[in-house]
Amino acid sequence: MNRTIALAAAAGLFGTAASAQDAYRIGLSGALTGPTAGSYAPAIEGFQLYIDRLNEAGGIDGHPVELIVLDDSGEASRGATNSRRLLGQEDVLLMINASLSSTFAPMMADASRAGVPLLFAASACPAEVFPPAQPLFYCTTAFGAVYDSRATLDFIEAQAGSDISLGLSAMAIPLSRGEIEAAEGLASERGMRPQAPTIVPPPTADYTPFATSISQAGADWVYSWAPWVTEVRTFEALRRLGWEGEYIAWAHLEAEGELARLQDPGFHAIGANSLFAEDLPVHQEIRAAAEAAGATYSPDQMAEGWVAGLVVEAALRGAGWPATAESVNAAMSQLDVDTQGLRGGPIQWSAENHFRATQYYRVYRWDADQSAIEVVQDWTPYTVE
Amino acid sequence: MSKTKLLALILAAAALLALPFTVSGAWMDIANQILLASIGALALMLLTGFAGQISLGHAGLLAAGAFTAGILSRELGAPFWVGIPAAGLTGALLGVIFGLPSLRLRGIYLAVSTLALHFLVVYLGGEYETRRGFSTGILIDPPMVFGIELWDPFAWYPVLLVGAILTYALSRNLLKSRTGRAWAAIHDTEPVAAALGINVARTKLWAFVITSAITAMAGALFAYYRGFVSIEAFSLFVTIQYVAMIIIGGMGSLTGAVLGAAFVTLLPHLIEGATRYLPTGGAISGSVFAMNYAAFGLIMIAFLVFEPGGLMGIARRLKGRG
Amino acid sequence: MQLLANIIVLGAIYALISCGYVLIYRVSRVLNLAHGELMMVGAYLLLTTAGMIPNPWIAIPVAGLLSLAMGALVYLLLMRRMTGESVLAAILTTIALGILLRGVVVIFFSAAHQYPSVPLGLHASSVEVLPGARISSLSLVLVVVTALVYGSLFAFLRLSRWGLRMRAAGQNPLLAAQRGINLHGIYAMVWGIAIFTGSIAGMLISLDAGLDQTLIMIGLKAFPGALVGGLDSLLGALVGSLIVAAAEVLLIQYVNPLLADVVPFLILIAMLVFRPWGLFGTREALDRV
Repeated sequence: MNRTIALAAAAGLFGTAASAQDAYRIGLSGALTGPTAGSYAPAIEGFQLYIDRLNEAGGIDGHPVELIVLDDSGEASRGATNSRRLLGQEDVLLMINASLSSTFAPMMADASRAGVPLLFAASACPAEVFPPAQPLFYCTTAFGAVYDSRATLDFIEAQAGSDISLGLSAMAIPLSRGEIEAAEGLASERGMRPQAPTIVPPPTADYTPFATSISQAGADWVYSWAPWVTEVRTFEALRRLGWEGEYIAWAHLEAEGELARLQDPGFHAIGANSLFAEDLPVHQEIRAAAEAAGATYSPDQMAEGWVAGLVVEAALRGAGWPATAESVNAAMSQLDVDTQGLRGGPIQWSAENHFRATQYYRVYRWDADQSAIEVVQDWTPYTVE
Repeated sequence: MSKTKLLALILAAAALLALPFTVSGAWMDIANQILLASIGALALMLLTGFAGQISLGHAGLLAAGAFTAGILSRELGAPFWVGIPAAGLTGALLGVIFGLPSLRLRGIYLAVSTLALHFLVVYLGGEYETRRGFSTGILIDPPMVFGIELWDPFAWYPVLLVGAILTYALSRNLLKSRTGRAWAAIHDTEPVAAALGINVARTKLWAFVITSAITAMAGALFAYYRGFVSIEAFSLFVTIQYVAMIIIGGMGSLTGAVLGAAFVTLLPHLIEGATRYLPTGGAISGSVFAMNYAAFGLIMIAFLVFEPGGLMGIARRLKGRG
Repeated sequence: MQLLANIIVLGAIYALISCGYVLIYRVSRVLNLAHGELMMVGAYLLLTTAGMIPNPWIAIPVAGLLSLAMGALVYLLLMRRMTGESVLAAILTTIALGILLRGVVVIFFSAAHQYPSVPLGLHASSVEVLPGARISSLSLVLVVVTALVYGSLFAFLRLSRWGLRMRAAGQNPLLAAQRGINLHGIYAMVWGIAIFTGSIAGMLISLDAGLDQTLIMIGLKAFPGALVGGLDSLLGALVGSLIVAAAEVLLIQYVNPLLADVVPFLILIAMLVFRPWGLFGTREALDRV
């Protein structure tokens, strides 16, 4: 009994039995389980749906795309094992990371060694993809360090001027702390009065103590750039303390459902993805694909994965057949992808810039009169240099 | 040594030597992980399986070693030959601190005090990473050993194999020495050991110091092997895995520690391989991975409930029968 | 005033969770490290019942009863087999159970953040409890429930026959068994009650904050409180939770919010150095394990 399982397992690890010789092979390592899976798994599912649909439609010029998905639970060591396996065993043309930032370093080191491009999708964009970009690293994720805070502060300034006290909230993970500390500096430059950032440890039973210190410092506006839990629970705790100021937070993939749940016009979500309430053709397409596949996650959380799918398809098309890691990388370094309305504009990459040439932001909030989400500020472009 | 045992040993040695020539890079990577895990598991086995002291701070010690190596390499450009012993020293020092509660505490209380120290180490590591701006971890350049750059899993294999064999040999000798006998005495009953003239406090501290030093060196090796250090890699789950290794392997056996390390490292891969052949009915892979996770728990439970003697217990029974 | 309210709310959360650790430890000397996971499963049970019966007065009690049964089953099917094994093996079994449950929960409920309060139509509002101090209405419920749970546990242990048997089983299992007390029945009951209280905590937290796997971590964070008070004392769990909560709230307000994560464990270390059996624990508990 035991032996049969072991043999079957060994076979499974050695040969991806049905692997077609004429397929584009790409690999993804992401947080499909573990405490942070909620922020990544929906996007990964969206990406899988896109690739499945692409293959059903005949693949790319008759060649299917073989996607190997591995789980890293958001753990660095498992991410490292996965990237070694994708590169050493599966010989993929392109790796995709959809996980916590702690998994970046090992995957980046391995990708550089092997000369295989690495795309960050749904995970935070590392500094290496911004100009001057390093070769091989690309990012399609909506949020981008510093630009987000700049756009947010511009919005706050347009709404309330710069004579305000600004509360700042972050999660105790390096990425979020770094961004909020940067925002503190940017706000000071504008003459705002930023509070010292309130940094919340990830497992927190009650956010009220953190909210208390923000509220008692007399914040007019509060800005939070952190995983969704921290953003929304700090806000809810503030409201329950009787705080009546305005709040703005990054619109993660949960945003659409959450704005409707909160129904609070004082809660602004700034983001780079369009919402499914708009019901563009691409949104209908994602909904239909999710429904047909009996997807686990809600389609309105899959935009990130779909965008990654559009980009990967374009990159593989650009690389031609037979593709190599170099040809895929060459195609990616001069990519121009129409996001079909999922974003405010196209994703354009150049040798220097692997984030996007222009980043577009929108601000949403709940409109109590209409009982619907309204756009407070439409697409605002920021040139990425 | 009996003839069969010698034969088994020769066969095992031949298999270990032949391994790099027969497997792919991904399997070599897994073999290396098993060797790394073996070093850590041997160290924990000394403490728990022989000296009878419970510790839930194992991941903290691995982290301390990894960070020592990472910080030395990053801040001072220190080479491999400095990083490893330095990690050992840090570990030994921490061992004294981790061991101090053991002078007063036993069982669960001791376990919890080492757990508390784990959180402290992790907190300090996280602070260092954030303060220095290494938000995605500290990168370490591949070390040079005898003029060979250690990056490829095939290059690492001999180094890690030697490390694991050295640890095993050291542990064996230690157990035969006075210290080892003193450990066995305090494991059974402390008052009797004290009556026999054994300095209980010193013996316990020694156990913690030796274990911690080896564990920290294993942590440093892990850091060099992966080429990076990040505090997220040392969660409580890592401790759980190591405790699982020594229990699944079989308490009080060095071979058991190695077997347990191999089993726990291989298990996720075996489960993943096995689930490929299960009908998933077109389910999206997310739930397949959740199934792997659940199966890991289930197999651990099965071992604990049905085979408390661990893999060594099974081996002994098979031997008794045959 | 607000700070006091914050301390009481956080202390109540910790206390409601940690009485499960204490109950099980006190009677069967097992440290249940799957408490956080079981508590999460309890909350998911509520999500399920809420999906079927959108009425809080039915959905919550039904989920509570189910979690009571779940606790008893965990003992009868699993932990009963671990009697006589080493302390470490028993702890590890609970850890393994925890891993299993994490996976199972993702299979059945996915990893997405979900809100049991939505089908039940519950909305937390803001209540002024003290002059100048506001808390969420659900937090108020949580404080009241914690008081009720502790009150009835004290009464149950002191006054009822089953409570007496439980205490006897905890103090001397051999003697208790000789006197005809059904040990397995007692243990199963204790596991049931412990998981029931933990699940109630999980349900109330998730009604307020939504539900995903991070609930497990909150379960673990409540643990230092139980230890500071003394693992075998219910009163200790209550006082210990309040001490840890007070330290956390005050540090967040006056020093550095980041410390909130380590401080419970620092208090714990100090406690272990000076009074390892906890504030209210019994000294001999140290030697028994």
